[in-house]
Amino acid sequence: MSEIFDRGPALSRRWAIAATLGLAAALKARAFAAEEIHILETGSTLLYPLFNLWVPDYQKTHAGVQITTQGTGSGTGISEAISGIAQIGASDAYMSGAQMKMNPGMLNVPLAISSQMVNYNLPGLNDKHVKLSGPVLAGIYSGKITRWDDAELKKLNPGVDLPNQAIIPVHRSDGSGDTFIFTQYLSFSTPSWSSSLGFGTTISWPPVQGGIGAVGNPGMVNACKGNPYSIAYIGISFRNATTQADLGEAMLENRAGAFVLANERTVSAAVAATASKTPKDERISLIFATGTESYPIINYEYAIVNSAKAPPEVAKAVRAFLEWGVSPNGGNAPKYMKAVGFVALPPAIRRLSLAQLNEIHWS
Amino acid sequence: MKFKTILAGVAGVLPACLIMIIAFLAIYSWPAIHFNGFGFVTSNTWNLGNLYSNPVVVGGTQVAPGAHYGIVFLIVGTLLSTLIALLVAVPVGVGAAVFLAEAVPGKLRIWLSFFVELLAAVPSVVFGLWGYVVVIPFLGHFLFPFLSRVLGFIPIFAGPSGSGYGLLTAGLVLALMIVPLIVATLRDALVAQPTAIREAVSALGATRFEVISKVVLPSVNRVLIGATILALGRAMGETMAVLMVSGNALNYLPQNVYAPISTMAAFIVSQLDSALQDPTGMAVKSLAEIALILSLLSLIVNFLARLVLALEAHGARRATI
Amino acid sequence: MAADALAAPAPVALSLQQGVPLRRRVYSAGGWILCGLALAILSAAMVWILALVFIRGLGALSPELFTTITQGTGGGLLNAIEGTAVLSFGALLLAIPFGVGAGIYVSEYRHGYWAPTIRLLSDILVGVPSIVLGYVGYVTMVEWLGWSFSVAAGSITVSVICLPYICRTTELALQQVPGDLREAAFALGCDEKRVIFRICLPAALPAILTGILLALAISVGETAPLLYTAGWSNYLWDGRLTQSPIGYLTYAIWTFISEPFESAHQLAYAAAFLVTTFVLIVHVVSRFVFERDRH
Repeated sequence: MSEIFDRGPALSRRWAIAATLGLAAALKARAFAAEEIHILETGSTLLYPLFNLWVPDYQKTHAGVQITTQGTGSGTGISEAISGIAQIGASDAYMSGAQMKMNPGMLNVPLAISSQMVNYNLPGLNDKHVKLSGPVLAGIYSGKITRWDDAELKKLNPGVDLPNQAIIPVHRSDGSGDTFIFTQYLSFSTPSWSSSLGFGTTISWPPVQGGIGAVGNPGMVNACKGNPYSIAYIGISFRNATTQADLGEAMLENRAGAFVLANERTVSAAVAATASKTPKDERISLIFATGTESYPIINYEYAIVNSAKAPPEVAKAVRAFLEWGVSPNGGNAPKYMKAVGFVALPPAIRRLSLAQLNEIHWS
Repeated sequence: MKFKTILAGVAGVLPACLIMIIAFLAIYSWPAIHFNGFGFVTSNTWNLGNLYSNPVVVGGTQVAPGAHYGIVFLIVGTLLSTLIALLVAVPVGVGAAVFLAEAVPGKLRIWLSFFVELLAAVPSVVFGLWGYVVVIPFLGHFLFPFLSRVLGFIPIFAGPSGSGYGLLTAGLVLALMIVPLIVATLRDALVAQPTAIREAVSALGATRFEVISKVVLPSVNRVLIGATILALGRAMGETMAVLMVSGNALNYLPQNVYAPISTMAAFIVSQLDSALQDPTGMAVKSLAEIALILSLLSLIVNFLARLVLALEAHGARRATI
Repeated sequence: MAADALAAPAPVALSLQQGVPLRRRVYSAGGWILCGLALAILSAAMVWILALVFIRGLGALSPELFTTITQGTGGGLLNAIEGTAVLSFGALLLAIPFGVGAGIYVSEYRHGYWAPTIRLLSDILVGVPSIVLGYVGYVTMVEWLGWSFSVAAGSITVSVICLPYICRTTELALQQVPGDLREAAFALGCDEKRVIFRICLPAALPAILTGILLALAISVGETAPLLYTAGWSNYLWDGRLTQSPIGYLTYAIWTFISEPFESAHQLAYAAAFLVTTFVLIVHVVSRFVFERDRH
């Protein structure tokens, strides 16, 4: 039994030498990497796919910059951008007034425009677009409207054979920009929701019989697919997934009373309606915009940047990257927008974003 | 220095880590402890408040308006899911370990054991994925309605069989995750038992199974309890898998075994990102307080387990007198 | 019953013949069936999981997986594989000495107050959710110490996750070593150090190894704590222990599965498959090394 230690030293010495040589060789090969500029982007999982499409192409034309992307969550993105751990924080929600006051010098720069669908699983009705409104959705998610053939739903959908089944509302249990914009829609359209539950990346969802808390957009798609008579709010980037899962997509009532689906026209109409009201710091909600063609659930996807934290080379690189990102020949080109279902920034908003990016400075 | 002292020092790093973590949590969450008071463990409402309004001052601390932190549903969810996990994992683990150690010949035993231990290698998040992609449809559409009909006379098995996202699913997935701990440790211990006692008992006329169940297994009782305590800790601290299959109940308690629940660990994961948006920091500190309470819960459960162990040893001693 | 046994002092096989009443035989057979069923259930679950992961990740299992780094929404997993290996190696480097040391102490010096205290605190540590360890690591190492996302922060956090498992399994392994061995060694004049390192440890080595491998398996499957300490990197490790994030396979699973692209999903399932087989390979290699040395 003591043989293991008699032979041990010789054996383990050989292993140790081999391991050290291997490690040294590996490190030597990586030495050059230290000269590159490193940018860390973290945050919203809605923006993550877009950054992942941007970075390989950007690096083809801009050598010397290594951009690491992470999908962690809007809150994490904001928090790490404030502390400087990440140079770019991605967020579906702009920073609150209180956060802006506590952290002067933060920029909320819109990069693109995202939207959200409301999907449902009604056997037989998934290819028709059932009409829903903010107050009705608020009723469903607060437990006041419990069956698909409720009077309120019948009123919106005359002539549609709605089944006498309990509605299963699916919401996001993880903190999510999708919850933020969905609950803003409910808040802005329904005073009773606004005063009791409000909006946020997470809210105190009222307990509804049969309600499900799912994780991530794929989790929402899965929960909706697996449960007939369920309803869920899902980010536009997942339209392929919802189509493949044969889920129905609802037409939503906008502020003007019209029922619309999300597409480039309706999203652009909503942006145009709010463009003139957009302040210089671009912190504005696009939810429930005016206009007969406007889609009610759309939002800016923000890059949260600390304008004065990074050292000179890094700050320059961040600025260059984001300027490329908002440019119609760069990140806002149709091929990227189409891949994730986003809409490019209109020229007026792009100018505001570029003006904000100009504020990134270094000593 | 004496060898024992040096070893004690090296061994001390482990408890030092825990102490440092608890100390950090306590200091970090002190403002939340102060703000929440006892209501934290008696109230059933968790509300982050309106993070987009200006903070208000309540009882001397700055919080988001409407913020209220109460975790009764989390405590209940954690305890119930862990209980179900153990009730399933221990018998299955013991059975599998016994079969592996006693009924499977040499080479096959090594490979089969690898295979079962591989369950421990499956990442938590993959358990969650597997859970909601394949297991939940199966449970929600077939097994749970069946259980609800057949076992419906027992109150907790009656009632709507739900969507598949819920307490029983979480318990079953957790059981699968902690079983390798029990199987691997118990199997090693069973194999190490001297053959002399097996031969002696079977010479007395016991069947092979009786040799195991009445003599060998009881002699590895302590190992079993040790492994179970480890498994229990893992079940209480499990995050990703539970997050994806438990249904994530908020502010309500389950009415039956099919209803959604939330556990403390999974809740921290799902709420952390939103809590980071609270400018007053009270939300993150309340999450740290949840972690502190979970550690306290773990302490209590561990004490109870040791009590059971001590009583069992005491009872065994008395029986031989 | 006793009379029967005394009248037929037969070897094991005969117990299944006339001497044993039917009831006991049925119970015993039933017992074996239940045990076999338990093993079958576990094996079936493992097969089911592997099937899901393999079938979905099949499209991505290719040589490129091992030769290219992650490129946006596709590419390979070389950076993640390397990262997992580096983080696991670092974590075990820290966890084994302190974990095994604690296990030895708790087993060999179990009387007194220190050993039960260590054991209790170790068991509580198991119950601390990994996300909490991750967040504590984030605030202390990533922010306060200024390490930013790093191998150091990630490895230390993962090693803390491993410690209690290694301690407990080492203790249980050493408990199985018969007291006679120790007494014989003492009688021959060995001091405590020799008894432990030359007699007890070698005897308990396979079981200790099982414990270490279990701890490795659990730690390699962690996602949440690494999200906040190691971060993530799309590139290969640059050799720095601090100030530089690193990739790992579980990130690929957790985050890529949430992307709307099929290429990302395939990478996620491929990563899931790889994590599982990574541990299997470490299992096989280490057992092979240790089994060879023993003969």
